[in-house]
Amino acid sequence: MSAPVIEVRRLTRRFGDFTAVDAVEFEVQPGEIFGYLGANGAGKSTTIRMLCGLLAPTEGHATVAGHDIARDPRAVKRAIGYMSQKFSLYLDLTPTENLSFFAGAYGLQGAERRRRVEAALVESELTERRDTLTRDLPGGVRQRLALVSARLHRPQVLFLDEPTAGVAPDARRAFWREIRALARAGTTLFVTTHHLDEAEFCGRVGLMVDGRLVALDTPDGLKKAHVPGVFLSVFAQGGDLREALRGVDGVLGLQPFGRRLRVRMAADAPLAGPEALAAHLRARGIDGVEVERGDASLEDVFLELVRRSEKQEA
Amino acid sequence: MTPALVRTTALARKELAHLRRDPQMLAFALVLPVILLLLFGYAISFDLDRIPLAVVDRDQTAQSRALKQRLTAGKLFVEIARASSTEAVEPLLRRGVARAALVIDADYARHVLRGEPAPVQLILDGADNSTAAVALGYATALARAEIPAPPVLPVEVRARALFNPGLRSAIFILPGLMTFILAMVAVMLTALTVAREYERGSMEQLFATPARRLEIILGKLGPYFVLGLVQVLLVLTVGVALFGLPVRGSLTLLFGVASLFLLAMLGQGLLISVVTRSQMIASQIAVLSTLLPSLLLSGFIFPISNMPLPLRILARIFPASHLVSALRAILLRGNGPAEVASDCVAIAAFFGVALIVTTRRFRRTVGA
Ligand SMILES: Nc1ncnc2c1ncn2[C@@H]1O[C@H](COP(=O)(O)OP(=O)(O)O)[C@@H](O)[C@H]1O
Ligand SMILES: [Mg+2]
Repeated sequence: MSAPVIEVRRLTRRFGDFTAVDAVEFEVQPGEIFGYLGANGAGKSTTIRMLCGLLAPTEGHATVAGHDIARDPRAVKRAIGYMSQKFSLYLDLTPTENLSFFAGAYGLQGAERRRRVEAALVESELTERRDTLTRDLPGGVRQRLALVSARLHRPQVLFLDEPTAGVAPDARRAFWREIRALARAGTTLFVTTHHLDEAEFCGRVGLMVDGRLVALDTPDGLKKAHVPGVFLSVFAQGGDLREALRGVDGVLGLQPFGRRLRVRMAADAPLAGPEALAAHLRARGIDGVEVERGDASLEDVFLELVRRSEKQEA
Repeated sequence: MTPALVRTTALARKELAHLRRDPQMLAFALVLPVILLLLFGYAISFDLDRIPLAVVDRDQTAQSRALKQRLTAGKLFVEIARASSTEAVEPLLRRGVARAALVIDADYARHVLRGEPAPVQLILDGADNSTAAVALGYATALARAEIPAPPVLPVEVRARALFNPGLRSAIFILPGLMTFILAMVAVMLTALTVAREYERGSMEQLFATPARRLEIILGKLGPYFVLGLVQVLLVLTVGVALFGLPVRGSLTLLFGVASLFLLAMLGQGLLISVVTRSQMIASQIAVLSTLLPSLLLSGFIFPISNMPLPLRILARIFPASHLVSALRAILLRGNGPAEVASDCVAIAAFFGVALIVTTRRFRRTVGA
């Protein structure tokens, strides 16, 4: 295994008495897509700001692309690309102007700058609209333009802070396709999101709850570790499903999902299969029962972990 | 180009692109000064002559006619109406046909010949009190030339600093006006452009690039510095062409002092925006913090020497008063570097303090 591109050791940031990021530790390998998940206020942006050399850590260390974030933030800045949560591009400038500005801000000049700007326009399919104001471009196009403009200087690592917030679902999918292509080409990606479905695209996912990194693994690993068992999705036309499930062995959790009820069961429970559970419910007098096998989602993991950390605090 | 220069020019070019997209800003910077100049310049130089005067001469003697002639001989008053009584004059004043009325009583000549105080009334349109003050001053001076005692004047007007016996007020106020315009535009535009980066969230994006703080400041504010110099040129040109402003001293020295003042104003604007981070609040503070010092505390309208001590100190802290006095020295008196050196030091001190406070603040709150 090669050396990690991002190494974080007990990274902590306090604002007054409040600890926004609490002794976080992780490593990110080259070419990995690292998802950083958490509710609003969990400390995602604060972590990113520290890793981008924008905010000094209160305690702990981190290196990014081999540079210490506290000792040499400018070397970090040269090696990375960053898309902040709030800003994407100057809306009163054209795509060309935005791109040449960011190229220049990273020290690119002359023919090289022109070449990269041109290539970026081609890549984001904006050669025709190069002189339209960015304000007049659709949100998804703007987001893609922001991504190419963060990569003009060919950074090793890209930090994307909620890049798909407020972007339409199909544009989001297209955006993630691009992110995966970048990772395949060798760029390391650190992406925060609160869309749990997006986290499925990540190689590994870190879950932040109140400033602490409470779990870190591949999406499958997280599901196996934190919400083990079998998911059965139950639909019924009449009758009290919850009542009918009372006392059933091995039920680990119930969760309404639309008009269905998701039942999580220990894998070795007697009723841990669609047919067995359906038969049991019919025998309890429930009408029109349908049971399907479901999948654990990161949402389940997240809810479970938040529940657990709240219990710990109580 | 060195990387630092590449980054700085990239920022400056971006700023120019913003300015191009926002013509109101450019208009504010280049058209407003000319309008202000014309308004102030003409209002002051022409309002104070050709004041329409109504005359009530109840005496009808050689002496009363002489008084009237003395008043209307200059360009200050123009006789536009004669009336038989004070009552008949009032509607004229109310409608604005006349802005002043001279009432000479029936026994004027008798009093004058006996060397006694002669009752003469000058009724002035007090609504326009700066004109009133000047007119009153002139009329009194003119009348006194013959009359031993001051005429009875039923209007209460306080003498004001606008009173300028040279009647060349346009020239006298140009340095003040120039200071006011430079300060206002530079502080306002700087405050707005930096606050806008904070509001958009793009300031953090700028800090995430390898550009240093100083490069960001220089790149963003460079265009406004140049714009300020263009304003100086504009105001000078208009002043010389339309108001016969003399340029007795060195232009190089003038631009040197103006550049220093511009730097101080850019520093002030930057400080305001770094602290407030909101365009709305920044623009309000920008207006207040330039209007008061450059209009009221600069010696532009009110002489600083007449102010109470605390205001005098305040006036000396803000660079506006120093630019006004340096400009008067260079333009009107043809003074050289030695005479404006102390003003330059004062302006530089203000700039230094603004810069130190700003960079501290800029550093402490980066990315927050
Ligand atoms: N500059 C700051 N000063 C004080 N508190 C801050 C500052 N920045 C962030 N916080 C607080 O830290 C917490 C984490 O914020 P943030 O990292 O932005 O969360 P996330 O990106 O996960 O939504 C929030 O409660 C936020 O209010
Ligand atoms: Mg955030």
